[in-house]
Amino acid sequence: MTSWENTIERLRRTPVWQSLFRRGPARTNRTRSVAVFGNIFLHLLPVKVRDASLRVRATYYLGSITFFLFVILTVTGVLLMLYYHPAVPEAYQDMKDLRFVVSSGVFLRNLHRLAAQAMVVFVFWHMFHVFYRGGYKPPRQFNWVVGVGLLLLTLFLSYTGYLLPWDQLAFWAITVGTNIISYVPILGQPMRFLLLGGHGIGENALLRFYVLHIVILPLFAIILIAVHFWRVQKDGGITLREEHGRKEKD
Amino acid sequence: MPAEEMGKASRKLRLAFAISSVVFVAVLAISPLKDYFAPWRQYKRAYARFANTRPDTKRLLADYHSGIDQIWIPELKVVDRCTTCHQGITQPSLMDASVPQPFRAHPSIPHHALDWGCVVCHRGQGLATEVREAHETTLGWEQPLLPTHFIQASCGVCHQSDIPETPQLNRGRQLLVDLNCFRCHRMNVSERIYVPPPDLSNIGHKASREWIYKWLKEPRTILDSDGNVVTNGYANEPRMPQFRLNDAELRDLSAFLSTRQNEPLGSHQIDPRIVAAWQKKPDVADQGETRFRQMFCTTCHAVAVTRAGQTQLIGGNIGPELTKIGSKVNEDWLIAWLRNPQSYFGYAQMPRYQWSDEDLYKVSRYIMTRLTDSDLLSDVPKMDPPTPAEIQAGKQLFVGKGCANCHGIQGIKAPKEFGPDLSAVGSKTVSELMFGDAKIPHTLVDYLRSKIENPTSVNTTAAMPQYHLKKEDVSALITALLSMTRRPDAPAFAKLVVRATPSKFQPAGQFGELYDRYKCYLCHQFNGYGGTLAPDLSFEGSRAQKAWVVSFLKNPQTLRPASTFRMPQFNFTDAEASTITDYLEMVMQSPQVNPNPDNSSKTSPELVALGKQLYEVKYQCQSCHTIGATGGYVGPNLSNLGSWMRPAWIAAWLKNPQALVPGTIEPRREFTDQEIQALSAFLMTLKQTPTSAKAGSAAGGSR
Repeated sequence: MTSWENTIERLRRTPVWQSLFRRGPARTNRTRSVAVFGNIFLHLLPVKVRDASLRVRATYYLGSITFFLFVILTVTGVLLMLYYHPAVPEAYQDMKDLRFVVSSGVFLRNLHRLAAQAMVVFVFWHMFHVFYRGGYKPPRQFNWVVGVGLLLLTLFLSYTGYLLPWDQLAFWAITVGTNIISYVPILGQPMRFLLLGGHGIGENALLRFYVLHIVILPLFAIILIAVHFWRVQKDGGITLREEHGRKEKD
Repeated sequence: MPAEEMGKASRKLRLAFAISSVVFVAVLAISPLKDYFAPWRQYKRAYARFANTRPDTKRLLADYHSGIDQIWIPELKVVDRCTTCHQGITQPSLMDASVPQPFRAHPSIPHHALDWGCVVCHRGQGLATEVREAHETTLGWEQPLLPTHFIQASCGVCHQSDIPETPQLNRGRQLLVDLNCFRCHRMNVSERIYVPPPDLSNIGHKASREWIYKWLKEPRTILDSDGNVVTNGYANEPRMPQFRLNDAELRDLSAFLSTRQNEPLGSHQIDPRIVAAWQKKPDVADQGETRFRQMFCTTCHAVAVTRAGQTQLIGGNIGPELTKIGSKVNEDWLIAWLRNPQSYFGYAQMPRYQWSDEDLYKVSRYIMTRLTDSDLLSDVPKMDPPTPAEIQAGKQLFVGKGCANCHGIQGIKAPKEFGPDLSAVGSKTVSELMFGDAKIPHTLVDYLRSKIENPTSVNTTAAMPQYHLKKEDVSALITALLSMTRRPDAPAFAKLVVRATPSKFQPAGQFGELYDRYKCYLCHQFNGYGGTLAPDLSFEGSRAQKAWVVSFLKNPQTLRPASTFRMPQFNFTDAEASTITDYLEMVMQSPQVNPNPDNSSKTSPELVALGKQLYEVKYQCQSCHTIGATGGYVGPNLSNLGSWMRPAWIAAWLKNPQALVPGTIEPRREFTDQEIQALSAFLMTLKQTPTSAKAGSAAGGSR
């Protein structure tokens, strides 16, 4: 036994480790399964996956990339929040500060912006892929619906984030968008009023979009992502071609 | 895949992982590197190098640090990072033009950059730390730097009344009023002397259809067609702009206007005996000219004079230029007008003179026979009497072209909001402007210049007429327009605005009537209101002796040998002269001059002798002032000072001239009280005998 393994072994016997992981090393299939089941994060994932489902061409990792972009957006978003006031005219001045005085501020903003755009692309790509593989069919129809919900959340997140720089592009995009909403029969005007916190695009609208963008929508997104992951294994793993009579190529 | 291979990375995979990790780190390094090599850091380093070549390095680098500098004034919402590159802006030793930009110091002005920031005057993007972003219109910022040539516009944003430091802005504001810009466009113009364009309700009595045709077509050809009279100067330029009218439109409009005879002309008949007596005399026009000159009509009106082959305009700009007026007006109208201008239209600015029939006849003959040009209307087509259809079409044109915005006329109301609102034109961004096909740089300044110089250049259907302006006047107008901005939104700014002080001086009573009749305010200032052609009369009661004022009013003569303008001869009656004098003495007093000085004891022959010696030897006053026949021409002639000014005024004046008349060129000398006494005593002995005064007046009367 090497000294490295000795150190790990000693660490495993400490009360802190045992309180955190509550079990010994996962050396058998059973203990491995137990380890996955017993972890709040890992239990969303299947205990075992088929070899074929790990190949690149099985998924092109589209779902994983989308999730990874979501993580990037969360991290950069939290960092951007350190510099941003959802107020007029500070919001636009903060954009100027990010550009001109914050170290790597431009990088941070661009990363957030580009990741957001990439996420929309990857969500669609992921959906098309799943669709063409027949992933919407029973028994996976529920998870398809969850996925559609996630698509809408992604689009709303994108849309609400668009207003926050408080520049002309933002202002007119939201003007057009909310005017479209107001054409919904009967509920149109009340919905627009609710969304903008008033009849025009002003400080109230900015605050509402901010809260939607950083709290409400991400919260729903996280919940739905968790359900989505968990449901993949409950519905029998990802869709493979062989299910439909064709064999996945090696 | 066999079970034992699971979880083991292949060589290929490891390589891919290694390469992608290196790429990832390289990508992450780009942003800090870009930050390190940012242009503003290079400017900061360059400044440090530059400062090391100067003798006062230590002072230049006293506040130096490697980060971003900014002027931060929260109450004004100022965050200006301009000083990051413009490092030397407050260093007095870097004001010289040899200092390379961006390190040169700001020229000395009454405001300090650190108290106000930069963008408040210079515009541009104060938050930026990149050269292009800070100075130009970019995708992220619309308001570019204001060109330095128009920087006075920024003074005008807060200083709403004229200040001496901004001549270009003041001129532009004056032009906005003089050229009647504000009558079509909504804008804030401060109160100033303004002569409204004539009311046209009775123009049919005054001018012929042919003359109106010519005037509408080429308002400027009222000057010589051979181009000898060069009046590009604003002074004598017709304020009427040129409208783009075709022949049919000119016919219609002239038909409409030449039939405007709303009220009958005042029916004053010159005594037929005078007409009979003078009609045949060959020199009636010559005598009229002499009278015209004696009355100093040219103080307000210019006339072209040819001397030694050179034609030039001589005279003032308060009234219209009169070189060819005889070819314009109808003689009956002229006589009625001269007798009582306000009976033709109420707001006429011409004073109502006291005329004798004889003078009236002579002067009107002079005007009708000498101030003419037989070629003036030679290129006007032959026109039949106006038809009702022409008159109707002319009326529609009058309405459609917005003529009623400037000219009053019975039965037509001025259209509201005729031209675009210009009250915040200085804040307009490029995206709010329509450039059309104009081949000009897309900036606000270029737009305004193009629009003023040729209104159709940016909009071929523009209703705005054509003005012909000098380059510097166009610049002045642009400056004044740029000064009309939306207020900065900081509440602190609202407090900083120096509001225009409404200063209209309108006395009541008998003096008020005379003041209105003779239009004193057109030339003289009264408590800050009025023209600047003649002396400020705000303190005239403290300055001049009563008897002198009466005699001056009866027979005005020049007090300043160098001045070309004189007060017109209004032919005041004794009662009028005494009303004016009494009012001036009672009301127009300076708080700094004792109205009841006990001056009887302050004179003695010794004192006078000392004063004379001070005047001639110690202070050499004669280099500017004339006494008798010797002395300079810069200051007023003092030959009659003892009868002219009050001793208390002289003493106060010698003590501090600028306190009484701000901006006077009289130097402030540190006289002792005794010297002031002596000088006053000496100056009060300067009196002209009536005969010599008369001689002086005659000399002043001939030009």
